[in-house]
Amino acid sequence: MTSPTGAQPPRLLVKTLAVIFVTVALLLVAVFVVVTVSVRDQVRQSVAASLESGQRIFAAVESRRQRELQMQAATLAENPTLKATIDTFAAEARTSSGAQRTLWLNTIGNELDKVAARVDADALVLADARQITLAAAGRLGDRWPRGRPMALAGARAGDAGDIGIGRASGLLFRVVSVPLQLADVPIGTLYLATTLDQRYAEELATLANARTAIVSDGLLVASTLPETTARQFEAAPESRQQVGTVLLDGQSYAFRRLVQMGGTSFYALGSIDESSQAATRTANRNLGVIATGAAVLALLASFWLARMLTEPVGRLSASLANASQAHDVRVQLPLTGSSREIDALTKTFNAMMASVATAEEQTQAAYTGSIRALATALDARDPYTAGHSERVSVLSVAIARALNLPADEIEVIRLGALLHDIGKIGVPDAVLMKPGALTDAEFDIIKQHPAAGARILRSVPFLVPHIPIVELHHERPDGRGYPHGLRGDEIPMAARVVHVADAYDAITSKRAYRGSRPSSEALREIWRFAGTEFHAEVVGALATALPGVTTGGGALVAEQVHA
Amino acid sequence: MLAPVAAPRAQAPDSGSITGRIKLTTRVRAPLPSNAYPSRSIGKHEAPPIPEIKNVVVYLKDAPFRGALPVSRVELHQQNETFVPHVLAITRGSTVDFPNDDPFFHNVFSLSSAAAFNLGRYPRGQSRPAKFAKAGLVKVFCDIHSHMSASILVLEHPYFTIPGTDSNYEIRNVPAGQYTIVGWHERVGERSASVRVEAGRPVTVDLTVPVEDVP
Repeated sequence: MTSPTGAQPPRLLVKTLAVIFVTVALLLVAVFVVVTVSVRDQVRQSVAASLESGQRIFAAVESRRQRELQMQAATLAENPTLKATIDTFAAEARTSSGAQRTLWLNTIGNELDKVAARVDADALVLADARQITLAAAGRLGDRWPRGRPMALAGARAGDAGDIGIGRASGLLFRVVSVPLQLADVPIGTLYLATTLDQRYAEELATLANARTAIVSDGLLVASTLPETTARQFEAAPESRQQVGTVLLDGQSYAFRRLVQMGGTSFYALGSIDESSQAATRTANRNLGVIATGAAVLALLASFWLARMLTEPVGRLSASLANASQAHDVRVQLPLTGSSREIDALTKTFNAMMASVATAEEQTQAAYTGSIRALATALDARDPYTAGHSERVSVLSVAIARALNLPADEIEVIRLGALLHDIGKIGVPDAVLMKPGALTDAEFDIIKQHPAAGARILRSVPFLVPHIPIVELHHERPDGRGYPHGLRGDEIPMAARVVHVADAYDAITSKRAYRGSRPSSEALREIWRFAGTEFHAEVVGALATALPGVTTGGGALVAEQVHA
Repeated sequence: MLAPVAAPRAQAPDSGSITGRIKLTTRVRAPLPSNAYPSRSIGKHEAPPIPEIKNVVVYLKDAPFRGALPVSRVELHQQNETFVPHVLAITRGSTVDFPNDDPFFHNVFSLSSAAAFNLGRYPRGQSRPAKFAKAGLVKVFCDIHSHMSASILVLEHPYFTIPGTDSNYEIRNVPAGQYTIVGWHERVGERSASVRVEAGRPVTVDLTVPVEDVP
């Protein structure tokens, strides 16, 4: 590891999660912006379209309504009593008596009241040919006193069925006027006036399916908008246009002029914000659901992705760690099949480990060969001990098998037995090959060979497992062995086995000072010391193992140590 | 059909006549192209419109007349939803018959202070009379057909006439003296002028109705 503790790089999972999350978040933000903008745009268009259709409907209804009003007014104007009275009054107004005039005016007023009762107008006003008010009827008729010049500014008199906007005593009226004629000669004018008030604005709003505002000569007459909004619209320069968008009280409105009569305009307005809020709310809610789903999916996907990458890598590194800890180079990792790259890595790793294992085996074989050569050379120093190490190794393996020891321990015993006397390299020939009995000093020199052997092996790492055999193969269960005087169970099994095999081969081998003794005698001899010099169970195993490794005469067969 | 003018007796020795020409300067009828309720008169193409000049009465204002006022009986027809003639001048005490020539009902009524009457509704072929016992202007209408109207000028003397279609008029047998002559149209208005009538000599008075605004 190059990084110090505490500053480890982040886990792959965190990285993938962050990357996917950020991507999804950016996408969602982009979608949100696009949706909001497009929803607003669509709502603006739909509001404008709705206003346009409202205008068409209004125009159609209004033109029909005006035609009907004209027809109605024209029919009302064909009242014979009204006409006769007006004409007679006009002819005699100056010459007749006051009582007579009153009679005529009452006749006119009475007729007009009857007519007014049948007409959907706020006021009916009758003027003579000189536009002097003769009579007025209806809800607001009292605003036109008799005998005054007809006051309905803006409304033209005389034309048949003329429709216009008129102003009288502060109120704005839509006026339909029709002439009263005798033959083709006009004798007066009948006015039908309808106020353009809040009620009309509301009626208009229902018709146009929108908010409405009536503006006359730049002044607001009536509106279904909230008060402040309506005042802002009145002041807005946009309100002079035919169609457009205007910002009122912080809200965006689309508006359209329904109709213009003289200086008076009728507007339909639709709030874009109001309409788009609902649509945006729905879109946002859907977007929220999608965002949550996407976040969960991103989380799952990052987990899966990270696991797909880290799991095989983790398994690989764990196997590697295990192998390095166990000094086992013969590991072969299974292919995960998760991805081609990971499998390629695994294969390469396996191939590398295989070649390492082969190299390791070759190295071991070379070591082993050298050591065997060394052991054989040592054995060869004394003609009586020639082949001793090989035989001890074979017998030790047989005993170990009889004891049902694990295979790896048997392998340790095989090589350990071969090397058990390696320490004798430091024993002078005079001592080693002395035909007679050894002095105490000489025996002390002999007793140093296990420790010397252990020292030699310690320098070779892969021979470390064999050190106990070399070092302890002269220890005895009764504690009288050397070099440490270990007792019973303190002595490793491998050392006990080699101890017994060593003794057996020594007894059955020919020595300078005696001949070889038969197997049975050797066995008996060993049995005698079972429990004191030798471990009893190993001695038992020796008896079991011997038939497989001895000739008929009891001599050990020197096998090839490595098959 | 035309209103006879007073008694067509021989010219009195101490009287003269007034002749002249009437000129109408104002357009009276104003046909309205956009009228939603056009004239309902039938068969208009068969009856050419009466010239506006026939709706003018020329008379002497407040002329004295002594003796029994000659009376007449004249007809005012109802044809094609129109009173024919539209303007009539008679002496006080005269009777007007209102025959119905149309194949449907008509009505004749008046609200005027000189003669308020209602002759009721009657069909074709019938005629109902009305006697005018008071001088003044009488407006006559039909309560079935609101566009029909006629004017009857009832005078205290026989010195009046209605100009011919050539706009010329003549009032005969006017006693010599100083008079005010009036050219009257029911809507356009009237124009008066002073005239001195001398025996055996006709005077000429041209009238423009109404007064032209000459700067």
